[in-house]
Amino acid sequence: MINLHPHTKIVLLAIVSCLVILLDSPIALCVCFLVSLGLQASIPPSWRQLRLLILFIGLGTWGLVYSQAIFYNQVPRTVIFTLVHADTPVVGVLTGGIHLYREGLFHGAVQSLRFNTTLTISCFIIWTTQPRDLLLAFVKLRVPYSLAFMVTTGLRYIPLIGSEAKTVIRSQRLRGFRYLRLNVLQVISGILNSLRPILTNNIRRATHLSEAVESRAFSPDTAAERRTSLRELKTRGRDVILTAVLVLCLLGVICLKGVYFLYANGIYYASWLRGAYSFVREVL
Amino acid sequence: MGGIEIENLHFTYPSRSTPTLCGIDADVDPASFILLTGPTGCGKSTLLRTLNGLIPHASGGKLSGSVRINGASVASQPIAVTCQQVGLLFQNPEDQLFCIIVEDEIAFGLENQGFPSHEIDRRIDTALAQVGLTGFRNRRIDSFSSGQKQRVALACVCAMQPQILLLDEPTSYLDPQATHDILDIICNLNRKLGITVIIAAHQVNEVAPLCGRVWLMNNGELVSDLPIDEAFSDLERYSQLGVQVPELAQAAAQLGYAERPLTLDHAEQLFIDSAQNSQPPQFYGTEAPEVPFTPNPSSGEIDAASILTPATPTNSDPILADVQKLSFRYPQTDVDVLKNISFQIKRGEVVAIMGANGSGKTTLLLHLIGLLRPSVGQVCIKEKDTRRSKWRHLVGQVGIVFQNPDLLLQAATVSEEVAFGPKNLRLSRQQVEDRLEEILPIFDLETLQMEAPYALSRGQRQRTAVAASFSLYPDLLLLDEPTTGQDYYHLQQLMGMLQDRVQTQDKTVIFCTHDVHLTLEYASRILLLHRGELIFDGPPDVAFANPELLAQASLVPPLMMQLQRLQDDKSPSSHENRSPRNR
Repeated sequence: MINLHPHTKIVLLAIVSCLVILLDSPIALCVCFLVSLGLQASIPPSWRQLRLLILFIGLGTWGLVYSQAIFYNQVPRTVIFTLVHADTPVVGVLTGGIHLYREGLFHGAVQSLRFNTTLTISCFIIWTTQPRDLLLAFVKLRVPYSLAFMVTTGLRYIPLIGSEAKTVIRSQRLRGFRYLRLNVLQVISGILNSLRPILTNNIRRATHLSEAVESRAFSPDTAAERRTSLRELKTRGRDVILTAVLVLCLLGVICLKGVYFLYANGIYYASWLRGAYSFVREVL
Repeated sequence: MGGIEIENLHFTYPSRSTPTLCGIDADVDPASFILLTGPTGCGKSTLLRTLNGLIPHASGGKLSGSVRINGASVASQPIAVTCQQVGLLFQNPEDQLFCIIVEDEIAFGLENQGFPSHEIDRRIDTALAQVGLTGFRNRRIDSFSSGQKQRVALACVCAMQPQILLLDEPTSYLDPQATHDILDIICNLNRKLGITVIIAAHQVNEVAPLCGRVWLMNNGELVSDLPIDEAFSDLERYSQLGVQVPELAQAAAQLGYAERPLTLDHAEQLFIDSAQNSQPPQFYGTEAPEVPFTPNPSSGEIDAASILTPATPTNSDPILADVQKLSFRYPQTDVDVLKNISFQIKRGEVVAIMGANGSGKTTLLLHLIGLLRPSVGQVCIKEKDTRRSKWRHLVGQVGIVFQNPDLLLQAATVSEEVAFGPKNLRLSRQQVEDRLEEILPIFDLETLQMEAPYALSRGQRQRTAVAASFSLYPDLLLLDEPTTGQDYYHLQQLMGMLQDRVQTQDKTVIFCTHDVHLTLEYASRILLLHRGELIFDGPPDVAFANPELLAQASLVPPLMMQLQRLQDDKSPSSHENRSPRNR
């Protein structure tokens, strides 16, 4: 899977992103998530990458489940825990009480499966594809060259920015600054102050980079028409097969969901499609 | 081909009221080699950018006058056309390389120009051969040293086969060996291919012997344009501007010679052979050098007071930093960046950490502020192990200025930046004011105190960063490459002030540098690193008397020291076989 054509990897991401939106069943979403984890396992990721992935998945899951559990507004909904009673002065009175709802928890879990699947496949693509291949793939997908160049160059600098942020934070601490304080305004001000050197440095770097790029005949206006390429990415049989399978899967799900939509809304029913209706209801 | 005509060139940046270039007039013959020098902020980089069309095409501002390359106006043709004739190499290789693999980086410009793949392929091989990187075509750039990265950047320019090569301080991030290699390549491009070269540089010792003319700039004006033979006749002018002059020319002037030698051969002929019938001049004493010769640039005379007498800590001085058997490896790598390093730093020392690019200097500094923790061994700062203690005990005790000063500057004004640390330590308003009053003049920042730090020039930003770290009066101040982007005057001022604090207030300074003159002038001790190993720990003059050791650390002794060695070799009493590394 690592050696797939980057074009195929991007198609994989696009189709899986569509699928997780179309699918509602936790089972189907779990399968998608497991497939994405399987892709990651095929690399396999380094310990640092694994930690990063676990952190992102953990934060994403916690944020979605918690927020949906609180703000779920569909009915029926079942309170499983009360954070603020309705008779609590000010906040309780204004909000009518803040509760965690069981249905909200479930809905948040489903949403997090969608988010985590897309995230895991994105990480798989970024960690297994050279930026230069990604750039060529974007160009092949008719993304404007200057935009594709910006995206791939930006990816290249993410680890550097992370390392600079660490240095800025340490140097501020050495100068006596404390990030964790009781005064929230001071905390926010400290974080904003830390952002300034990181932003300034990156703007300066971007300026230097743009000068270097323009000094080497790069022009966003003419890049598309006159630019040539040293390397060509070759599509192999397995890329074609995988792309075909993915497209068929997507088309199949769209058809089945469409048929079920017509049935559920009383527009069209056919008895020979009962198996399909049942499959969509139970599995998709 | 490769000629440049500059006529009455003026340029003002959009946000500035005063012009950065004021009425520059010059003609450059094809195949010339020009050294462009001047103090920080005098307009060198701006001038180079007008020559390749970045100004005005990729910059706002007001440009008047003209620049013509082979008769065509740069302002009236797109950069994409100009850059086929004019290549520009920037100061920092990190800022101009954005691909992962070498061949992609070199191919980028050629692809933009629309060359077919077989031609790109051929040019990549040629360019790599020109910069001595044959066989490195499919290597990852991030595995390279700074010197190799700068070679890749040069290969990117060479691949476009320009007639004119502009270089904006191309060696300021490089160690002496890498500097020597890059200049060799540039010299070959000039001599063998007839490429016109204009090189902006602060440190002129290495460049001056290669060039045919010298342009001296000040406040946006070209104040002198002279052939190399005459360029350094009037050293007073350079001295007034705080611009470094070649070491050998300076010595000749101080010894009363009319000629200005730039190479060891010439200096040897002038100083030694011409004095055969009389007492030969002594540069370092009769034995191996013990005390470095440090001419005073401002007076133009040999100043006895400028000969360093470094503070020498005694055994009873308290230990500030204790590094024991330190080894370190970055995550996801299989190479130790630091290997079994042990040393102690005492109060009152000025320690230089030297070594080639990638030898582990910065990594070692980061251990001394606890930003990195040892994989093996221990680092104790003021008797506390950085692996076990929290960073808080280092606050106010240890200050650091990174090679990139921007990472330290976070306040809206220079005075707020300097006051940031003292305020965090909860000093009274009066105490903070007192510190500002003391520190701003020392770093020549009084007039800039209400300016935004990030809007200042590189040298000014670095001074602000040092002032900000220094405002806490730390016991241990760490400087990572303080010479980068600094002109001679401000560098001397900065180091002189720090040395004064070391001597009067018993502070300790550790700095990483490639600058041998700075080390000889200010350091009382030197730590030499080679591929992560500490290969020498002792007085600088002892290290610089050992050519093998220096070669191992990619360092080159000062020219005056090499000259002294030549003289020793020629004297009948000398039985040592010493030969200068580069003549």
